[in-house]
Amino acid sequence: MSSNVVVVLDNGGGLIKAGIAGERDPATVVPNCTARPLSSKKHLLPDQLLSPTSDLTSAIIRRPFDRGYLINHDLQSTIWSHIFSSLLHITPSSSSLLLTEPLFNLPSIQRTTDEIVFEEFNFKSLFVSDSPSLVHLYEASRRPYDVVSKAQCSLVVDVGFSFTHAAPVFQNFTVNYGVKRMDLGGKALTNYLKELVSYRSVNVMDETFLIDDVKEKLCFVSTDVARDLQIARRRGSDNHFRCTYVLPDGINHTKGFVKDPIEAQRYLKLSENGDLPSQSDETDEADQTEAKSKPSERNKVDLTKNEFSLSNERFLVPEMIFRPADLGMNQAGLAECIVRAVNSCHPHLHPVLYESIILTGGSTLFPGFAKRLENELRPLVPDVYQVKITTQEDPILGVWRGGSLLASSPDFDAMCVTKSEYEELGSARCRRRFFR
Amino acid sequence: MDDDVSNSLRRMSTRARKVAPKMAAALASTDNRTQAILARLEALENDNPGAEIVEPNDDDDDAAAASLDEDDDLVFHKKHPKGTKRKTRQAKALETAKKAPRTFLELLHDANLESLPPHVPTYLRAAVGPPSSTCRRHFCTVCGFSAKYTCVRCGMRFCAVRCQTIHNDTRCLKFVA
Repeated sequence: MSSNVVVVLDNGGGLIKAGIAGERDPATVVPNCTARPLSSKKHLLPDQLLSPTSDLTSAIIRRPFDRGYLINHDLQSTIWSHIFSSLLHITPSSSSLLLTEPLFNLPSIQRTTDEIVFEEFNFKSLFVSDSPSLVHLYEASRRPYDVVSKAQCSLVVDVGFSFTHAAPVFQNFTVNYGVKRMDLGGKALTNYLKELVSYRSVNVMDETFLIDDVKEKLCFVSTDVARDLQIARRRGSDNHFRCTYVLPDGINHTKGFVKDPIEAQRYLKLSENGDLPSQSDETDEADQTEAKSKPSERNKVDLTKNEFSLSNERFLVPEMIFRPADLGMNQAGLAECIVRAVNSCHPHLHPVLYESIILTGGSTLFPGFAKRLENELRPLVPDVYQVKITTQEDPILGVWRGGSLLASSPDFDAMCVTKSEYEELGSARCRRRFFR
Repeated sequence: MDDDVSNSLRRMSTRARKVAPKMAAALASTDNRTQAILARLEALENDNPGAEIVEPNDDDDDAAAASLDEDDDLVFHKKHPKGTKRKTRQAKALETAKKAPRTFLELLHDANLESLPPHVPTYLRAAVGPPSSTCRRHFCTVCGFSAKYTCVRCGMRFCAVRCQTIHNDTRCLKFVA
């Protein structure tokens, strides 16, 4: 049993997804960073960061990744060895490794990664894959009668932590000349929200983990920005987007939370009610008078109780993925990014690619993301083509599941590079086997 | 030099004298503004934006100890018998600088991707490129709503006089230096 364990490691810039091949879900999902709280001198390891007792106020973060690429190999191997020994309980010398790496990884980074895998951890064999092909593999196996698996191609849109890729996949291989990248991902969004909140209410520039949580819980993608800005301008309870987030006080609760979760979800009802703000207003107001007994005083921010309120920030932050130009970035938005990725492929592939767009990556979890993307994409695509956007059931784990699937296939052993081959041929020659 | 300036200014009217520095600032500002935008985009990729700290590197001390001795011999050969405290600190700083991971942009520069033939897809060629339309929405930097006006001094946006006052009081020119 222990002789052919395959470890699947989706080494993302934000989260590491690690587990044993063949299982449905990874055994551990931990942030790919260490952090040192102000109170201590030691860096907390990734799994300690998740424990509810650890105090992460003003923690100083160290990440092995910069702009989506591995730069700090020492830190990464510390994190890996912790994961292998204490979280997965495997012995690297008797197991194989399936590792994901970012597209267009630099040769120098690849070489060092190989060194760590074979010389420091002594893995038996290694297979390196990129994430779009694994996502494609997983989606194709899940829906065998869909276009994705029939045509054997898809367009994987990965909105990740450090950047966003639109990558065409054909016959399980990423078409690398078609890949388009936007330098905007979850990390930039968190930092942007941090900047806004710090300027407008409370200084939270040091609270990355806290603002990450705010972003995940409160941000959403607006389907009509102009309308939503109008709504956000209103005062009192007419402002359906305003909601309050309570900061941790260190005594009663060590984690921040949304003050009124029902209030925070009001905007969902709004979009269902129809496009006209006046209509949705009436119904919403009716709802509120029934449901709410409390007066509008809860919308006031009490400065003595550490909390801050958000209104238009909730949708203006994810908005940047669709219009990076608004931020001063000289890059096209996500919809245009997709169109350019498709256009760089053979024209015969265009209709199939538009029909099999797969959304993956943690930043696609914003409510309304797929709908907005479709609204933006449709006018840019010739009307003879169908546009179909599928969301993964769990965008964060999608890549890992594809890897788990690939690693449990019978051909997997033949595809790997073994340690002896690495010692014989060196890193660069071995890499050719992965067609990278 | 000061005299020269006052001499040349003496002939001008008082009004021109007041306006001139502002105008000069406005004319030079486009460069400053692009720099500010780039600095801001850079800040969005920063892990610890609030804290400007030097990594204490406490956990690496043991590993660094071996190579630290070598550095002592090489760089601080002459000072060796003297003040030990200062030497250690300097050596430590050198050590951190050497050990500090290089940023991705440095690695990218080293990889020399420009030298590859144009048909090879690389990191640089995968970038999506500028948007097809140059129109850009502007949001008020103070309150977030759509902003009609631009600050004449720093180029940030605001939507109303109220926001302008706040802007002038709190952040105007702070990010342009």
